[in-house]
Amino acid sequence: MSHPLTDLAPPEAARWAAHAGLPLPADRHAAVAATAQHIHAVVSVLRELDFADTPPAASYRAGEGKSDAAV
Amino acid sequence: MQPYELSVTEAAEAIRARRLSPVELVDSVLDRIERVEPHLHAYVAVTAEQARSSARAAEREAADGSFRGPLHGIPMGLKDLIDAAGTATTASSRVRSGHRAETDSTVAAGLAAAGAVLVGKTHTHEFAYGLITPQTHNAWDRSRVAGGSSGGSAVAVAAGAAGFALGTDTGGSIRVPAALNGVVGLKPTYGLVPRHGVTALSWSLDHVGPLTRTVEDAALVLPALAGHDPRDPASLVTYPADQRPPRGTDLTGVRVGVPRNYYFDHVTADVETAVRRAIDRLEDLGARLVEIEIPMTRYIRATQWGLMVPEATAYHERTLRTVPDRYTEDVRLLLEAGELLPAGDYLRAQRARTMMQQAWRGLFDEVDVIAAPTVPTVAVPAGQDTITWPDGTVESVSDAYVRLSAPANLTGVPSLSVPVGHDRAGLPIGMQLLGPPLGEFELLRVGHAYEQSEPARALAPVA
Repeated sequence: MSHPLTDLAPPEAARWAAHAGLPLPADRHAAVAATAQHIHAVVSVLRELDFADTPPAASYRAGEGKSDAAV
Repeated sequence: MQPYELSVTEAAEAIRARRLSPVELVDSVLDRIERVEPHLHAYVAVTAEQARSSARAAEREAADGSFRGPLHGIPMGLKDLIDAAGTATTASSRVRSGHRAETDSTVAAGLAAAGAVLVGKTHTHEFAYGLITPQTHNAWDRSRVAGGSSGGSAVAVAAGAAGFALGTDTGGSIRVPAALNGVVGLKPTYGLVPRHGVTALSWSLDHVGPLTRTVEDAALVLPALAGHDPRDPASLVTYPADQRPPRGTDLTGVRVGVPRNYYFDHVTADVETAVRRAIDRLEDLGARLVEIEIPMTRYIRATQWGLMVPEATAYHERTLRTVPDRYTEDVRLLLEAGELLPAGDYLRAQRARTMMQQAWRGLFDEVDVIAAPTVPTVAVPAGQDTITWPDGTVESVSDAYVRLSAPANLTGVPSLSVPVGHDRAGLPIGMQLLGPPLGEFELLRVGHAYEQSEPARALAPVA
């Protein structure tokens, strides 16, 4: 599966950040856009995987059944 | 030999036999700190007065014939992400100015109960979000990085400025500085050591563990750290047991996995030579070498980032909005950019982690431990940002340092970094031993067999 990447322009990064509740000063837009683009490029490789029924790993558990182990 | 030069194992024997008092040992380490700190900057704060008071209490107990165990009166450092009641947990950050921990973290409480004496809080890369620890200098060459994020802990132990120290490890932050400074670092099984009272970087990946001079020392410290604490939702129900590996070097019957992919790609010649020589030594000691294939390697970096980046941003949500200027630029930028990562990417990373854990489980049907380099290269000069490999590939120093450590964070398997020599410039090289979940004893056994087959290691040549 291909995963084409689109460039993230600084104003767009600023809009996304604001949408997430983080207003960014103008002098940070370019650097944050570049870093976010880089992170996106690294992480988007996971879109190749077919997860089928695989659940997310989680640290929460109710009760302690399977965590019982001696070391 | 001065008391600060003793390993934990040696000091514990001397204290138990009343040949050495905790007061002498702690004074010796505090003197050593005074001498080397101006060169190394391993500590955020040294708790000399409190340490001397604890040492006197340990001495009174020893005089009464009361010993709390092998850590009785042993001086230790805590990475400054770990709460110790009455001291600041600065996380080496201005964001935490004015902080004061009201209570001990679970691990600090466990160590205090075991008789260990806190001599100070050690530097971390700010909030553990980096692989350098810029405040601190490498114990073997001050012009080079300490590695991180538990750089202060590794340097303190390497220089004799602590008997042992604790670090945290999210993508290699115990093992990377351990390897770069020539000490032992153990990242235990995910959930074995409770994280309550330890500042988080990424809940899915964070671990707490010891940095020590020898593998045997790590085995003495681990039982004081392990155990169930329901305040950490990942905490396993375990029964801390004596992990001390047997004397003797016979490894007959142990199956050592040697990866044919990933772990020896883009590794310097000196690192590869030293690690392969150490693996050959394991074979000489009776182990059987088994070639193995590491699964899902294409997704390791993506999964690591997909978990760590949004979780770190979530932890810092409030202060990123109220005091953003107090963060250093590299950390602030990562935290801000993390706001832009969609939930879908985070969930894919969590699902990829599940797949990776399942794929790795099969590896340990074939082998008992896996042996591989801890980091692909030695400590780089401070200020160097990238590494260029012979095929022309350029890699950031942080990516290179995390690359071989991250699989153990993603899968939760234990990993022990052991010094296996030096490169041509005299800089330390580390080999990591990985085992199945809760396989710490086997790692310690194999690591201890290796270290017994080598001449005793000296402290780093500081001051």
